[in-house]
Amino acid sequence: MKIKNLFPVACAVATLVVAGCGTTVNSVENAQKDGQRTMVTDQRVVTDPSLNRHVNVVGVNSAMTPGGLLRVQVELLNRTRSIHHFSYKFEWFDMNGMQVNNVISASITDQIEGKESKMISSIAPNPGCKDFRLKLIDAE
Amino acid sequence: MKIKILLPLITAAGAALLTGCATTDAHYVQTGDREQVISLNQINIQDYANAANNAVNDLLTSGVLDKVANPPAVVEISRIINNTSQQIDTDLLTKKISIAMLHSGKAVTKTVDAKATGYQQENEFLNDQKATRLPDFTLSGKIIETVDRAGNTRRVTYSFQLSLNDNKMGTQVWEGEKEVGKQGTRAAVGF
Repeated sequence: MKIKNLFPVACAVATLVVAGCGTTVNSVENAQKDGQRTMVTDQRVVTDPSLNRHVNVVGVNSAMTPGGLLRVQVELLNRTRSIHHFSYKFEWFDMNGMQVNNVISASITDQIEGKESKMISSIAPNPGCKDFRLKLIDAE
Repeated sequence: MKIKILLPLITAAGAALLTGCATTDAHYVQTGDREQVISLNQINIQDYANAANNAVNDLLTSGVLDKVANPPAVVEISRIINNTSQQIDTDLLTKKISIAMLHSGKAVTKTVDAKATGYQQENEFLNDQKATRLPDFTLSGKIIETVDRAGNTRRVTYSFQLSLNDNKMGTQVWEGEKEVGKQGTRAAVGF
């Protein structure tokens, strides 16, 4: 009898534990967009499938600043229901494929809520930078 | 018997897995890596990097430095007010920004070196040159600390506020703010 009474409570606790007490994000945006993203054909290397679920790269778009610097924006999506901490770092390369020394190249720690879509961006350190690479690291 | 022999090995392997191969012996680390120290009573080096990264991205995207008549713009690093409870060297923030501006080719910063200024003035006098170009902009700002407590939990937020001032017009042509928040009961290692 006692076990029967405790069963729903145990189920509720188990659900909370499994869900990690996570709250997810609802959002709304204009359906007919005026701005058009210039999407970049990307090449991905996934070595951490778990991170890829939590911080999934949806797409990459780029634009030039008024001063002629390349700017890239990466859309991330948390496919799970729990908040996740991660770290990211952009690397920049010149037209010869050589990495450009960047004073602000330190990893940036960030977080993404469950089911949230988030943008991260970076700007090329100089006009000679043509290519980039984004590195994502799990911070849990 | 076999279990007795294996037990220390299993314990050691388990400990290694749990610690993620971390070591407490002295070793070199990179700013912003997985082993970074997160303090609740001071600004960590990665906090400066985070704030500078945000400011540079925002400033260069704005295109305000490209609007000067004779590029590159001349910027003078002005006063950064420290409104926190700790003594900090604001160069940890401003130097990153000035290096990024210089590397971008969009701006040069006015030298603060006394010898360089002396030589420049001597050159002006000897060659009967016009006075040096005055800075187009000055970069000023403030770092503010806000502390909230709930029981043993402490939440500290550092607000890095920066302004780029147009010296001709006397206006602020760009402003940026980055908040870095940390919460916990004590300092920790890791993200």
